[in-house]
Amino acid sequence: MEIYHIKDLSFAFPEQEKKALDTLNLSINSGEFVTVVGRSGCGKSTLLRHLKSVLTPHGERSGAILYKGQPLNAADLRTQAADIGFVLQNPDNQIVTDKVWHELAFGLESLGLDQQTMRLRVAEMASFFGIQTWFHRNVAELSGGQKQLLNLASIMAMHPSVLILDEPTSQLDPIAAMEFLDTVQRINRELGTTVIMCEHRLEEVLPISDRLIVMDRGAIIADHTPRAAGEALRAAGHPMFASMPAPMRIHAAVTRQGTMDSQRPLTIKEGRQWLQDNMLQEAAEPMEQIVSTGKTANPNPVVVQFKDVWCKYEKHGADIIKDLSFEVRRGQFYCIVGGNGTGKSTTLSLLSGILKPNRGKVLVEGQQPSAMKVRDLFHNRLGVLPQNPQSLFVKKTVELDLYEVLSDVKLSSEEKKAKVDQVVAFAELESLLAMHPYDLSGGEQQRAALAKVLLLNPTILLLDEPTKGLDAFFKEKLGAFLHKLRSDGVTIIMVSHDIEFCAKYGEVCSMFFDGSMIASNETNTFFAGNHFYTTAANRMARHLWRDAVTTESVITRCLNSR
Amino acid sequence: MRRDSFAAYHPIVNFGYFVVVLAFSMIFMHPVFQGIALISAVTYSIVLNGIKAIRFNVLYMLPMLIILAAANPLFNHAGVTILFYMKDGNPVTLESILYGIASSCMLITVMVWFSCYNKVMTSDKFIYLFGRIIPALSLIFSMVLRFVPRFKQQIRVISVAQRSIGRDVTQGNVVHRARHGIRILSIMTTWAMENAIETADSMKARGYGLPGRTSFSLYRLDRRDQTMLITLAILIAAVLIGASAGENTIRYFPSIHMKDQSWLSAVVYTAYGLLCMLPAIISLVEELKWKFIISKT
Repeated sequence: MEIYHIKDLSFAFPEQEKKALDTLNLSINSGEFVTVVGRSGCGKSTLLRHLKSVLTPHGERSGAILYKGQPLNAADLRTQAADIGFVLQNPDNQIVTDKVWHELAFGLESLGLDQQTMRLRVAEMASFFGIQTWFHRNVAELSGGQKQLLNLASIMAMHPSVLILDEPTSQLDPIAAMEFLDTVQRINRELGTTVIMCEHRLEEVLPISDRLIVMDRGAIIADHTPRAAGEALRAAGHPMFASMPAPMRIHAAVTRQGTMDSQRPLTIKEGRQWLQDNMLQEAAEPMEQIVSTGKTANPNPVVVQFKDVWCKYEKHGADIIKDLSFEVRRGQFYCIVGGNGTGKSTTLSLLSGILKPNRGKVLVEGQQPSAMKVRDLFHNRLGVLPQNPQSLFVKKTVELDLYEVLSDVKLSSEEKKAKVDQVVAFAELESLLAMHPYDLSGGEQQRAALAKVLLLNPTILLLDEPTKGLDAFFKEKLGAFLHKLRSDGVTIIMVSHDIEFCAKYGEVCSMFFDGSMIASNETNTFFAGNHFYTTAANRMARHLWRDAVTTESVITRCLNSR
Repeated sequence: MRRDSFAAYHPIVNFGYFVVVLAFSMIFMHPVFQGIALISAVTYSIVLNGIKAIRFNVLYMLPMLIILAAANPLFNHAGVTILFYMKDGNPVTLESILYGIASSCMLITVMVWFSCYNKVMTSDKFIYLFGRIIPALSLIFSMVLRFVPRFKQQIRVISVAQRSIGRDVTQGNVVHRARHGIRILSIMTTWAMENAIETADSMKARGYGLPGRTSFSLYRLDRRDQTMLITLAILIAAVLIGASAGENTIRYFPSIHMKDQSWLSAVVYTAYGLLCMLPAIISLVEELKWKFIISKT
């Protein structure tokens, strides 16, 4: 059965010439798992919002949207509320009430169901999603992943026949994101609910989707099975191909055209098999187990040093940081990876002087940050880019915000202007200066926040998960910026969940576990030494070439071995 | 947290009970009634809070009781039984001393009952009760409880971020600090409004605003609650009969006068005693039952 039929849909936001959606034609069948991808601002979210009347944005519209054969507007709001479920991006913003059980029942209350029905539905959903154990909790105590699962469960309790998700995992860490996507897949597979989802994590999402729709500038440029859509992108030479899963990209770069759809690898498993069948059999060069020495050949002076640091938050609490020692040298790009709650962010707080170590020493250029004056620490020395760049902005426009940083600095207004202009040019903010910082997209906010921090001339830059919620395109841009900064001699310390990003741009990588550093090495050696905690390309090719970490290096090896 | 057996009853039972005992302890000034109420309130507060309640009652309530009782005769000179004259020539009377003790007892009893109320009537019970009357109100309560901690958390996040560019309220001189504080609050407002848009979307998407909204609750009025309500009703009726017969009141001024004790007063005293001790008795019985069950297995 056809659930949605979209005919010649065009849409433009008020007072804008450019069409956000441009003559779209689309048909979605009942039970399908459809993934919509595209760069930020390509119109994915606008399209999804058109699928539910209450969320449809205002503007100039033409064309028709049919829901189950009837115009969408003809379906009354009560039917739509229950039948079309919509999960948004931010887990926190969607939660309305203070208790988990109340949130689960929120939609049911709106529909005006009686107690007995609500009881049953809430109980069913809590069991399906494994929420029983935290059913009575306050929502404030939940982790981000749990919050997003709760949002999903609250919608599923209304028994929708379509589930629409707008980048649901962009604010989650990789493990929570996997769990969330698994649940979505289970809903699709076990309940037959139609799923329409926007997502950036293609590596995980493509293997479970039936159909991939690629959008660019408001139009659909590919609409096939994931494998065929990937091939279409490659054939068109479209930049979106760069965000396809590593096995697909490697395969496409190595083989000629004309392979059957089913032979194109999509998952790591398929990629491994394909490599095994098609590449010359080379035994992986035996590599001695890499033991972290923490010593690198870098001759530059040490700028950041942790000496046997212990730290805890409460007097009788558990130690968050346990016996941590490491050093960062001038000009290094130092990446810290590891799971949630292993002490990564605490390490950054220690560095920026917000926390004091209970034992041991933290030294920034030979001084203890917690004992330094603000001016000494944050001017010309340490720049901190917080996880949520929004929390840095305080003014009405980006431009005012940048000048605000310099308000305490003794410079003439010409000098200030020169400085701001320089940083604006660097971060490519020219077209955004008059906008409100909160109106920028995630990637643009990240850049504006970076510019703000750079105005204080930091020589050491601390980044807390800078790639969170960014699409591949913006990540590349950020990578390029960081590279430019490094060539100016800035030391960068980054905490991240994004292994691919660390592998591509990092110089030294360290893994955190249980409050201290388990392994630390140069990026390539580090990932080559890991078995599981490594890039997709490496997991796919490590049985042949253990030290091929990035997609590019795997491609080169493949071509060489021909 | 220790789970109290009385607190496990339906919210309407909890709430009704506290309304009644609070009202009774304020109205009935008869010494026997006051004694019963005070002892029961203190007992239940100890059942609920354990050693902490004892400390609270001894350290704060007891001194307060003494001070209040002593203060009354200094300002109140009514009454016929004059004990002695103060230096300024005002009389100190037996009635005013006793009245002071009685009114301070009443105040303390009410306060201790309220401390029990706070422990038993948690926010979700309260929300539930008022949600039955006005569904929109219960949602507003629930949203306030959700968003206040959330805003506090966000203020912390912004403040930490601002600290790293030297713009926090803890940094700079007084003028700077004030300016930083105002700036953080102002951006906080923007943040709240910005995020409220998504919250509104999420509410709309789940059908908020459709007519005929109901209110979900985890509570069910079961047979045990019904039995309890009937028991309470009988006890309350007995006390009220006593009240109408004038058993529960006392006259302090100009001279102390109480009704003579009779078989009826004995019945009313027992009823009031049972009523006030009920939560403590339930806790005790449940505990004994539990020990019994455990010992059998």
